Amino acid sequence: MKRWPSILLLVVILVALALLPQFVNAYWLRIATGALMWAGLACSWNIIGGYAGYIDFGHSAFFGIGAYATAILMGGSFGWPFAATVPVGLVAAALVAAVIGGPTLRLRGAYFAIATWAFAEMLLQLVNVLEITGGTGGLSLPPFLDENFFYFTMLAAVALTYGVTWLLFERSRFGYKVKALRDHEAAAESMGINTSLVKLQAFALSAVLAALFGSIFAYWVTFINPKSVLGGDITDQMVVMVLLGGLGSFWGPALGGVALFLINRLIWMNFGDTAFYIAILGAAIILVVLFLPEGIAGLFTRRGKPGNSLLRQSLARLVGRGGRA
Amino acid sequence: MTAGAAQSRDMAARASGQPILAIRGLKRRFGGIVAANDVNLEVRRGEIVGLIGPNGSGKSTLFNLVSGMFKPDSGQILFNGTDIAGMKAHRIARLGLARTFQIPALFENMTVTENLLAAAAEGQWDGAHERAEVAMQLLTLEAVRDNRAIDLSGGQQKLLEFGRIIMRRALLILLDEVTAGVHPNIRKIILDAIVKLRDEGATFFLIEHDMELVRSVCDRIIVMDAGQVITTGTFDEIARDSQVMQAYLGRRA
Repeated sequence: MKRWPSILLLVVILVALALLPQFVNAYWLRIATGALMWAGLACSWNIIGGYAGYIDFGHSAFFGIGAYATAILMGGSFGWPFAATVPVGLVAAALVAAVIGGPTLRLRGAYFAIATWAFAEMLLQLVNVLEITGGTGGLSLPPFLDENFFYFTMLAAVALTYGVTWLLFERSRFGYKVKALRDHEAAAESMGINTSLVKLQAFALSAVLAALFGSIFAYWVTFINPKSVLGGDITDQMVVMVLLGGLGSFWGPALGGVALFLINRLIWMNFGDTAFYIAILGAAIILVVLFLPEGIAGLFTRRGKPGNSLLRQSLARLVGRGGRA
Repeated sequence: MTAGAAQSRDMAARASGQPILAIRGLKRRFGGIVAANDVNLEVRRGEIVGLIGPNGSGKSTLFNLVSGMFKPDSGQILFNGTDIAGMKAHRIARLGLARTFQIPALFENMTVTENLLAAAAEGQWDGAHERAEVAMQLLTLEAVRDNRAIDLSGGQQKLLEFGRIIMRRALLILLDEVTAGVHPNIRKIILDAIVKLRDEGATFFLIEHDMELVRSVCDRIIVMDAGQVITTGTFDEIARDSQVMQAYLGRRA
């Protein structure tokens, strides 16, 4: 896809989304708000997993950090307004990403995946026992039941997420640096790219964006607990959405995020639970790896030789074959 | 340091006649193997210097030490007047050193154009798109500009690896078997590009097994064996040297 048709398409989509509340009822507006959130979360995961090539299995930690920052600060003892809590969540996510990323971004392939997964599990257990987080019981937020507010807030956050991603990864030298270190770290380093710094920046950015959606989510649903904002299934969904949409592509996370979330809601409406959905996630991974390694986005772009996809290379790295420091 | 500062510093150093690369007493050991055993050598500005020697003689290790991929155990590497021994690879690169790898080290999921731009991402970004066009033209890569590097042929990959070097505008360029296994037409394109860059002021230090290539482009040749420099001279001098013959062909019976 060339640059101007892409940016034009983005504008058309944004205008259509801005007008959507005129045409749908509150129920579908809630679903649209959720679809936007997942499109944004998938985009945040794609920054570290797709553009930087570091498979992060603990990304729910950053979503949870944003959610808990807002829930704690809006709650009884603080009583902050929503808007004031958001920056706190973003800064907290950036700091945690820097502290976690420093040592773990030295680890490639399965090691990084395991380290990030272990960190997210650790955070989940910690939140389960801390008093300030309400333990397993969770936290309630002051209810605010304006569906239009949340739809437009989510839309603004998604526009920001995709806008920043577009500018940094499709239109600037920073994007070239990140993709270069993904594909060959030693070669990138030999071209003057400070790979340790650049991947830490990419990781922090992806963490900050995930935290942004965590903050909005907490305020929107008015009640959170460790399972609902730190559960491993949140990361699983982000990963599968990106793989389905197209790993490392700009539009992929939006396509995969919206598609899978709608499937999730349809299953819930028709069967009343989501166990079947989890099975679909597993099946989706297998089918994508086998038949659609460049995802839905790959259907619209010129494809190279089969087997040369970024997804298959990333998987080979994950199981320790073809890996490279 | 900015490219401009490196350039002006280079002008001053050029006037002083100081070598661009001076290695003194360089040592690096891997377990029981001494890959660099007291290496001493100099590369002067504007030269094309060939580095030859049998497999395992320490040529690639030397390149890895100079470019910062490995850290030396001891010794000094003066690059353009700065001791770069043990410095991080990206810092050495920013001082004006570029290299290729023995096995092509392309950014496989990026297109040809993107590979070239990535090479300039940490250097002079203004005009990078135009320079990428010029490089693609010079290296006959225009037709595959939007192909991902992983989908290129072996010869095209070698050309692209060299294209990234052109984008770097480096003072010293280390080439590790840059024409190994390529078609004579492509070899010719790369050789012409080397001479062109040298005429524009770059210095080359290259590992090569192709003696015909070494003879035709190298001003001077350094021979390594068992982690040491055994001799240096012009191609004709080297060809007459009995030590070199022994290193390559074994001791006379």
